[in-house]
Amino acid sequence: MKVDFSIRNLPQIKTLLPLLGMCFALLSFQVTAFELFNSVQIHGFATQGLFSTTRNNIFGDSSDGISPDFTELGINGSWVPLPKLRLSMQIISRRAGDANDGTPMIDFGLLDYSFFDKEDYRIGVRLGRVRLPYGLYNDTRDVAFTRPSILLPQSIYFERTRDLTLSGDGGMIYGQYRHPWGTLTLEMITGFPRTDNSETRSAVLSTSDANGNLQADLSFIGRLNYELDNGRIRFAITGARVQTHYTPLNSFDPLPRGTDVFSPVIFSAQYKGEKLSLTSEYSLRPINKSGFGPFLDYNVVGESYYFQAAYRIFEKWEIMARYDALYNDRDDPQGLELQQKTGIPAYTQYAKDWTTGIRYDVTPWLMIRGEYHYINGTAWLPTQDNPVPPLPSKYWEMFALLVSFRF
Amino acid sequence: MCFFQASTDLFAEEIVVAVQKNSVPTTPIKRYVMSTIFAMGMTTWPDGSSIRVFVLADNNPTHSNFCKQVLNVFPHQLRAAWDRLVFSGTGQSPIVVSSENEMRERLAATPGAIGYLPKETVNDSVAILPVE
Repeated sequence: MKVDFSIRNLPQIKTLLPLLGMCFALLSFQVTAFELFNSVQIHGFATQGLFSTTRNNIFGDSSDGISPDFTELGINGSWVPLPKLRLSMQIISRRAGDANDGTPMIDFGLLDYSFFDKEDYRIGVRLGRVRLPYGLYNDTRDVAFTRPSILLPQSIYFERTRDLTLSGDGGMIYGQYRHPWGTLTLEMITGFPRTDNSETRSAVLSTSDANGNLQADLSFIGRLNYELDNGRIRFAITGARVQTHYTPLNSFDPLPRGTDVFSPVIFSAQYKGEKLSLTSEYSLRPINKSGFGPFLDYNVVGESYYFQAAYRIFEKWEIMARYDALYNDRDDPQGLELQQKTGIPAYTQYAKDWTTGIRYDVTPWLMIRGEYHYINGTAWLPTQDNPVPPLPSKYWEMFALLVSFRF
Repeated sequence: MCFFQASTDLFAEEIVVAVQKNSVPTTPIKRYVMSTIFAMGMTTWPDGSSIRVFVLADNNPTHSNFCKQVLNVFPHQLRAAWDRLVFSGTGQSPIVVSSENEMRERLAATPGAIGYLPKETVNDSVAILPVE
């Protein structure tokens, strides 16, 4: 493989860095494998989902049938060569309808060094490809065991722009302060988010006809998290500024050069008791598109929130319920103005999702889940699974089954 | 604060924190620091050496009693914290041992080791670390 190390190919180099780090880790592992036994860990997970929907499709051809096009596989390794230095890497393969085809990707590949690790505080850096600290669930959103439901609340954790908020290439500074009254953690990242997914492209560009390049610009994300008793009570504020730009392929490209700036704020709160857990998140999502011309440029503030309750009825059984709402434009929440102006159906501008589900932990390593959604609106519906025409339906339902294994 | 207090079984055996002799200082440690150590948030001892955390399986009664009595958390809360570290690349999870005997042997043999045992099963091979 020939690699061009010029500035133009910076993204290529960025993806190679974690790989080099891991090769180095594996080489050293072979040299002194015995001594490293305690400091190396391998973990992984495998998940298969079945989706059936009425009218609209999600993850493949699910309407009025059953789609098995949802598989999540992941494996990660970490090594602590020195007490304050850790190397970690995770590779994920995700098959989800037409948006993800199962190609293995480096999810994170990083070096973590803590300058201080005292009783009361910890300060350090992470360099490489890092997971983005975004709300309560983004850090481990691919691991079914850590999700509250089969499908995360879509108002905040969109499937459509998933790859953009997943992980980024850059550097993170973190600091943690510990006190009997709780733990405060601040994480701040600067770097380049990932734009290599086709569904992400069409979500950001509002069209799948564009042939040019969507590239990430230097972006920022930060989260302040308060936690009492290892997560019994949790509050978090996330702020981000994710910028991408589009470069047309040639003069026949339907899209001109333009910039997209996404700057969401998320407020999160959670109580997790022995049996009952209550979670809510609220997000304001300003999106600013410029340069794309009068029909595609816009400047709107989206609004999202959900309320979620889960209850452990028996040791191995948990039931959950959630109301999740997404509005593309908080000044036109019902989409009526847009419909009047453009003819775009109003119900494509919001989504209100009632969800109920049940989880059964067969063993600590094996879990089965079932879930039902009743949805009004199509704002977060993946476009690749629902090519227009025909127009999507306003009211739709979803049934999902999932089995997951981890080690 | 009693609202947040984990319900502990009155007849449960007393669980103590045990560490390797000599490599780990046995000056009393505050409860929130102990909690941070078992949540894998603090990974080095004050002398700079690695902390090696050993636990029993999530569904082991001794583990459950330890979580409630000493850390004031439930096993599934601790598991959620470890999962977040492991699958986001921000930390490691503790080493899971299969029995109290194995726990005592690993604690005795591993420098920087910390774990827990029912008080009556502690012997000379390990040291008790008091919790304030």
